[in-house]
Amino acid sequence: MPRVIRGTLITCEPAIKSIIMHINAENNNEIVIEDLDDTHLLIKESKIYDLKRLLDLRLKETLKVEAPLDDSD
Amino acid sequence: MPPKRKAAAQAAPAPSKAGRTSALSTPGPATPRSLDSSMMSEADDDFDEDVSEAQKQREDGLGVEAEQFVQVFDLSSKRFQGKNEKRTDSVTSFFKNGERDFHYLPLKPDHQRRPLYIEPTQGLIFLERWSPRGKQATDFLVTIAEPVSRPKYIHEYKMTAHSLYAAVSVGLTAKDILTSLDGLLKTEVPQSIRSFIEEYTMRFGKVKLVLKGNKFYIESVDEKMLARLLNDEIIGPLRVHTSGDGEGLTVTTAPKMGGLVIPGTQNAAGVHQANLKAGGAEPAANEGELYATLNEEDDDDKEAVHAFEIPDHAVETVQKRCLELGMPILEEYDFRNDDQNANLEIDLRPNTQIRPYQEQSLSKMFGNGRAKSGIIVLPCGAGKTLVGITAACTIKKGVIVLCTSSMSVVQWRQEFLKWSNINPDDIAIFTAESKNKFSGNTGIIVTTYSMVTNSRERSHDSKKMMDFLRGREWGLMLLDEVHVVPAEVFRRVISSIKSHSKLGLTATLLREDDKISHLNFLIGPKLFEANWMELSQQGHIAKVQCAEVWCPMPTEFYDEYLRANSHMKRTLYAMNPSKFQACQYLINYHEARGDKIIVFSDELYSLKQYALKLNKVYIYGGTGQAERMQVLQNFQHNPNVNTLFLSKIGDTSLDLPEATVLIQISSHFGSRRQEAQRLGRILRAKRRNDEGFNAFFYSLVSKDTQEMYYSAKRQTFLVDQGYAFKVITQLANLDKTPDLAFATAKERRELLQRTLVDNEKGGEEDVENDDLFGKPVRRAGGRRGGGVRRTAGTLGELSGGQDMAYIEQNKGANKTLKKQAKAQQNTFFKKIAREKERVRTGK
Repeated sequence: MPRVIRGTLITCEPAIKSIIMHINAENNNEIVIEDLDDTHLLIKESKIYDLKRLLDLRLKETLKVEAPLDDSD
Repeated sequence: MPPKRKAAAQAAPAPSKAGRTSALSTPGPATPRSLDSSMMSEADDDFDEDVSEAQKQREDGLGVEAEQFVQVFDLSSKRFQGKNEKRTDSVTSFFKNGERDFHYLPLKPDHQRRPLYIEPTQGLIFLERWSPRGKQATDFLVTIAEPVSRPKYIHEYKMTAHSLYAAVSVGLTAKDILTSLDGLLKTEVPQSIRSFIEEYTMRFGKVKLVLKGNKFYIESVDEKMLARLLNDEIIGPLRVHTSGDGEGLTVTTAPKMGGLVIPGTQNAAGVHQANLKAGGAEPAANEGELYATLNEEDDDDKEAVHAFEIPDHAVETVQKRCLELGMPILEEYDFRNDDQNANLEIDLRPNTQIRPYQEQSLSKMFGNGRAKSGIIVLPCGAGKTLVGITAACTIKKGVIVLCTSSMSVVQWRQEFLKWSNINPDDIAIFTAESKNKFSGNTGIIVTTYSMVTNSRERSHDSKKMMDFLRGREWGLMLLDEVHVVPAEVFRRVISSIKSHSKLGLTATLLREDDKISHLNFLIGPKLFEANWMELSQQGHIAKVQCAEVWCPMPTEFYDEYLRANSHMKRTLYAMNPSKFQACQYLINYHEARGDKIIVFSDELYSLKQYALKLNKVYIYGGTGQAERMQVLQNFQHNPNVNTLFLSKIGDTSLDLPEATVLIQISSHFGSRRQEAQRLGRILRAKRRNDEGFNAFFYSLVSKDTQEMYYSAKRQTFLVDQGYAFKVITQLANLDKTPDLAFATAKERRELLQRTLVDNEKGGEEDVENDDLFGKPVRRAGGRRGGGVRRTAGTLGELSGGQDMAYIEQNKGANKTLKKQAKAQQNTFFKKIAREKERVRTGK
């Protein structure tokens, strides 16, 4: 019996795609339906807001300084 | 052991410059102390434990105190704010809830012709450079405020306690400053700024600590100020009553720039000629008379100065008390009238001409004929050393030079010999290897910060040498690269070595940690800061084109990057194959143009990978001394070696005037200083005065990674100096590069796998503890788990009996160089070398 899932096509840069795939893996593969190519993804429509939120969080983390600076010689 | 502890407590050096410890309370005449050094070391048995608990506590305390002090004197403190009447209107809330709404300051009718805006809460001043009075305003601002940002059109300055302190110390009064400011401002002078300036100029610089004839005097133009000090319950009793009159103050005349001439300037040349005419063959002897006559001429417009004497041991107390009273003491050294310390025979060589900005910086230091302490900021390659040497030649007393590494110690000595006529015996070096003393009764000592501060495991010789350093008075203390040393270390240096004046030299007066904030109070105000852009326009430093190249991360790398830990992330964004390609492309492009290229990488793994793959020479912490020299020499002279890969050991104190292009692959997080120092490597380019010459500075950044953020932060300092960074997102014809590395997806995956496997165990030790020329420092403890590995096999296998042969496929360019060097040698020279060797071993 065929199953129907409503999906949304996402076009993004390869780097953002990587991040989305990474988020997907952390969320039990519940977001992405199909990995189409380097710049396109098909994701579940119901998850789109979650994904936006998670992606925002992730992008903010990129700007966080992880290692403390020590300038002494 | 009680006596020992007592000695330590006693010897804990006082945190202030002139705080004398009991054993040395009377400064002796300037005779060589080597004779009685044994006696002294007895007295100061535990002097070397200078990091005693007590002192640490004191240092901490002082740090806190200084912090509080700095805060009280901030413009944003309540004392100054609140005097401004606030006015609001309908749009006020859009400017940070009204905090940044300054429309209550009315513009003057002719504001378009005035170049300055001022911000009343923080003292920020904005200057319109294009204004016809821009030049005049710049000169004025440089004196009263510190430059924050100086790009092409609008400059930003900040008025701080330190900058006013510096302004006062060159002789400006509140009235002068306010009048000029009012003339240049587009608005009225805000009330907060007005009271800020008035208060500071009233407090600062009014009281001076002067060392004259080896006695300390508190000196002031204002008699009331001294009266206030004398009535103070702490300072009052400390006064030394010299002659019978109890209440009278010593009145002398104020010093003027008068006869003092900074050597190397035009003025100096003039005086020299005048001397020749007047005194014939003995110009030196006449100088004193010349000063005297000049001073007499000036007598009319001199102000009276009042002074009282304080004992040596009270200096520290008085300084501290004055700080509490809000009247920091300026230290000045009247070196011309110092008869106690022997004069040093030193002068600049006659052919030495110092540049206009160097002269300007020095004239601030010797503004009134005395030596003031302070910091001079000049870009790398702009001749900081010469400024230091000229200062030494002006003071002509014993000089102690502190620098960062043993190599720069040697360089400083060479520079001294090159620019001045000092007797080589009078300039000595104090490092781990050599501990000389000068022959005469005064001279120059060049040493490192670590030699002076770190004294835990000190050899007998160094200990004796330290006692020697501590036991005498120095006319000038030159502090090279002051930014590298945190304030606590300075407290230690300044407290253990007594000098009359201190001059700090640096290119980048900034640190990411805020350990620099109190330098101004420890050493002195910032006397001068050069404008990088101006110097490069005048051709003193090279013009540089800066570019940031964005390299996209291939998907497979980025996937891995997202999963990796922070260390691996660094490796991954350095090993990004697009970055590699960009690097290769830039190297090819510039080598074809005939440029010499330095590539910097902080990451050792990527440094080696890049260098091996591109077959270029490289130097890192683990490279042997001989190999380093060979590589450097080849880079300088061999037309076939145009690219050099360097780890961070090359960041500072490397002088390669041949280099014209700099590529940065990976860097130390967001360190603005490293960026500036690296840029400094190409600022002294030899070809800088060629028509249309540009040096190039590329920073390669992996897109979508943290590197982007760091890179933006790193650039802020250079942007503030007026450099513009171009962003390059696509390098033209990158795909057409012959032998482009990692062009196929397969190669990229292989690279990724290799990188991951090689760095699995956290990679190599990235720590490098030496500089480009120094000896690598052995880390205590050793590597863990580097022992024996068991494998099964036959004995024949090990000896090569299984018909296995190995060949190193990817040889480094370093090895090729070595081979060439050997092959190139003619048999004749080989013979000579052999004979030399024989003679040496025979001896």
